[in-house]
Amino acid sequence: MADENTSQKKEDSKKRPKRHPNKNYALKKRVPLKPVDGDNVIFITKKTNFKAQLDKCCDLLTRGEKDIILHGLGAAIQRCCNLALQLEILFSGTCQIEVNTGTIDCVDDLEPLTDELDFDSQVRCSSSIHIRIFRTAMLGANQ
Amino acid sequence: MEETEAKEFDAAIGGTEHLPFSANSLKFASSRSVEIAAMTESILRPSKSKLIFQSLPVHMRRRVMSHNCKRLPRRLRRGHLEQLKKSGLPPKQKRPSRKYRRRPANLLEEYNRRQKQHVWLETHIWHAKRFHMTERWGHRLPYAPCDKAFRACYRGSSAHCLLQDISYYTPIQITGTVTQIKEMFAKVTSCLCGLSVSAMAYINGTRQGTAHIYNVNSFPFGYIGKVEFIWVPSDSTNKTLWLFVHPSQATIIQSVLNDASCTQDNNDYEVAKKKRKVGSVTGSIEIKVMQRFNRFRLTGPNSHAIVAESLKCVNDDLLKNAKWTSLHKPKDLIDKNEYWEAISTAKSPAQLPAHMVVGLVVIDPRLRRPRYRTKAKQDTDTDINTDTLRKIPPYLSNSPLWDVKIHESIKKELMTNGQFVKHITKNNLVPGVVDEDDPALQCVPVVLVQRPGSQNPEFKKIGYGSGWDIIIPSGYALPFWLTFIMFGARSGGLRETESLAFEMGECYLPPDSNAGKQNENRIESEMRDRYFRLPPSKRVNYNKIAINSPFRCPWNILLSDWSDDKINEFFVLRNKTALNEIQDCITRKKCLPNIENGTKCLVPVYVKVTAKGSLQRHALICLPEVSDLSNLKTLFEPHHEDPNEKVRKLKRKEHVKSLKKIKKKNYKLKKKLQQEKKPMYTKKLRKVHRREPSEYVKAMRELWLPSEIETVRKVGTREVMGYIAQGAFSFTEARSCGVGYIAYNALRHLLNTGLNQVLVRNPTSRKYRLANIVITMNT
Repeated sequence: MADENTSQKKEDSKKRPKRHPNKNYALKKRVPLKPVDGDNVIFITKKTNFKAQLDKCCDLLTRGEKDIILHGLGAAIQRCCNLALQLEILFSGTCQIEVNTGTIDCVDDLEPLTDELDFDSQVRCSSSIHIRIFRTAMLGANQ
Repeated sequence: MEETEAKEFDAAIGGTEHLPFSANSLKFASSRSVEIAAMTESILRPSKSKLIFQSLPVHMRRRVMSHNCKRLPRRLRRGHLEQLKKSGLPPKQKRPSRKYRRRPANLLEEYNRRQKQHVWLETHIWHAKRFHMTERWGHRLPYAPCDKAFRACYRGSSAHCLLQDISYYTPIQITGTVTQIKEMFAKVTSCLCGLSVSAMAYINGTRQGTAHIYNVNSFPFGYIGKVEFIWVPSDSTNKTLWLFVHPSQATIIQSVLNDASCTQDNNDYEVAKKKRKVGSVTGSIEIKVMQRFNRFRLTGPNSHAIVAESLKCVNDDLLKNAKWTSLHKPKDLIDKNEYWEAISTAKSPAQLPAHMVVGLVVIDPRLRRPRYRTKAKQDTDTDINTDTLRKIPPYLSNSPLWDVKIHESIKKELMTNGQFVKHITKNNLVPGVVDEDDPALQCVPVVLVQRPGSQNPEFKKIGYGSGWDIIIPSGYALPFWLTFIMFGARSGGLRETESLAFEMGECYLPPDSNAGKQNENRIESEMRDRYFRLPPSKRVNYNKIAINSPFRCPWNILLSDWSDDKINEFFVLRNKTALNEIQDCITRKKCLPNIENGTKCLVPVYVKVTAKGSLQRHALICLPEVSDLSNLKTLFEPHHEDPNEKVRKLKRKEHVKSLKKIKKKNYKLKKKLQQEKKPMYTKKLRKVHRREPSEYVKAMRELWLPSEIETVRKVGTREVMGYIAQGAFSFTEARSCGVGYIAYNALRHLLNTGLNQVLVRNPTSRKYRLANIVITMNT
């Protein structure tokens, strides 16, 4: 994303005037709306170690969880896909993947930098991916 | 029997003596009476060498007889007490029995006595049973929970809910016209630090703002502290502003505001002063320190679920039952209720508008309490409409709580816990089911203030530190507190406030404020005492590792070293544009711009150690040399010679010698006195407890840690740029971090060398470690 931005900066700024509306506001991000959390739900982030996330998923699956759900948002989509594919290889033949994509509305606060302006907010759309990994055959020996 | 000794007395047997034939009874008795009298006297007044209870046969002796005269037979008690008096010990006053002490009236009296010295919070007794308590800022405050749950409190703040009682914040009410208040605050704040008090964003009262307060017209020097303020929504020209001030700064801020409002018109200065004394403040600003509200701070994503579960808005029928509603009629209840229901499905308070103020009227929280401690959860998958999240409706923020008139009535009508239990057990038809629309309990006005937490994903995880502040009328602290606890909130104390500020990368009490200086002094004396309580073999010899102020950060000396002249006052940079510019320079390794008063300026930084290693308080931030980056592993401060070591040893030797001499002298004196049989007065005199350490101890301490420091910059091999004010392992960063300050000139020097990393060294170690620096914006 960052590289694209620098190369096509001029065009982008014309296309998407929402991103940086003007110098009078500071953009502050809020927590995006989240789907239901649970024991078998994992939100994939870019900051967490990939191996740790993979191990967590493996643990859940081997512990006897029927399905696990991975959620990825924005830049974490790629990592989410990677993780799901890795899992498919690791549990080859015993689990399947079901992928849904979607768009999530993220709300950003626009904090005024001058006294004359009020707070504002903007809605930014972000792509999301929801991957459900479910067991097709349980390994009794693995239990 | 041998014959020689067998002399008989009686003539009848063969002795020499003859017994008289008659006995004179009077003479006999009189001669015996002397003996009897002597005997009775010796029983009643025993000889001085023996105590009365010692005259008792062994089987009648009891333990602690000498202390407790009730253990003695009654006939001996008087003599015993007299003996005690003679020996100089006054007979001890008996401690009243526990039963007596625990009687409610007596207990209350005792509590009132103890509250005179330090103010108690309303939740004091709850906390005192579970927390270590400390005395700070005229309050007795919970410091940390007794269960060793440091990490659990962090987990609470990041994943669940951490609950803190911050009722010690002092509310100050300011009334006046907007222009007057604006003028007043223009003198004590600066527009460079962010939005002003009367900014468009805050003036309609839908959001809480923060402002940095300085002494009158002395920006950037004379920093006092950060205050939170809320405007009371109203359409009239006379507006009310509530400030919430930290207790360490409350008195200063009050006097500064008074000064600022006074000097509005220099001509009217005297008049205004007189007016304020009389109390009739027509047409000018009125500043009042108010009776405390209760204010709880809930931090963490789950705090929204807890608040949503425990607070239920009342409907109109219930409202009539509360007496206070006749004094102030709450408005827009239905709309508020609707909005509250709409946002109650949010997963985290960080999803809601930043700093939003919500005024609600809720039912008594005791009616919402679960029977067992359960975790409030939100499992519904209903999405919130983004439109409700985007805008704060204008009716949301008004609350009857800001009306001071009703407080008395609310407190009076409060149903105590005892009454509540009685009422519930009496009126409950189905056991275990609580009627939420109970008309006997009055409804309560509360104000909720959202805190957005981190909103900058590059610095901290988004939403970390987000939560709700809830402001409650006085008297209602415990019902609310217990309800939150029952819904799964974890309670924390002052230590959690400190650690939360640290995790957020803020300095809790900045060093250029008075409160910060007092805090530094307190920390220094604590650490110093601890250091000198250690035996010399266990003390770190700071002279050897080139640390000359291990227990405090000498900011003045640091800044003087980095400039040419001596610096007496300094300030922390809070100018937002300048901070942004400096951050930009650091990331791009550019040279720093010139700023005004640069020599007296400290730049707040957040230090992250790149690899392993821990950071402590008062660690040095040092200037790296270009070659350091390649040989970090072997970068140690070399051993230094301790010039005082020999002096200390000599001194100790001399001291031991002199002690021996004194001992000998005393021994001789004692012997002499014993020979002359004079009482020992000398011994008693020596036992007087000395609080002040002796001259020798002071001199030795001075040799361990010289108090006069001239320079700090070039003590070790690497030049010192600044200090870490608070350092520890940061759970949010998963590495050691610290909040510190760097002299502006030093930072400039660093960037001129083309580097943007620093070296840090703990005060107890010789190892230099590499660290990244980020400018902190929210100091």
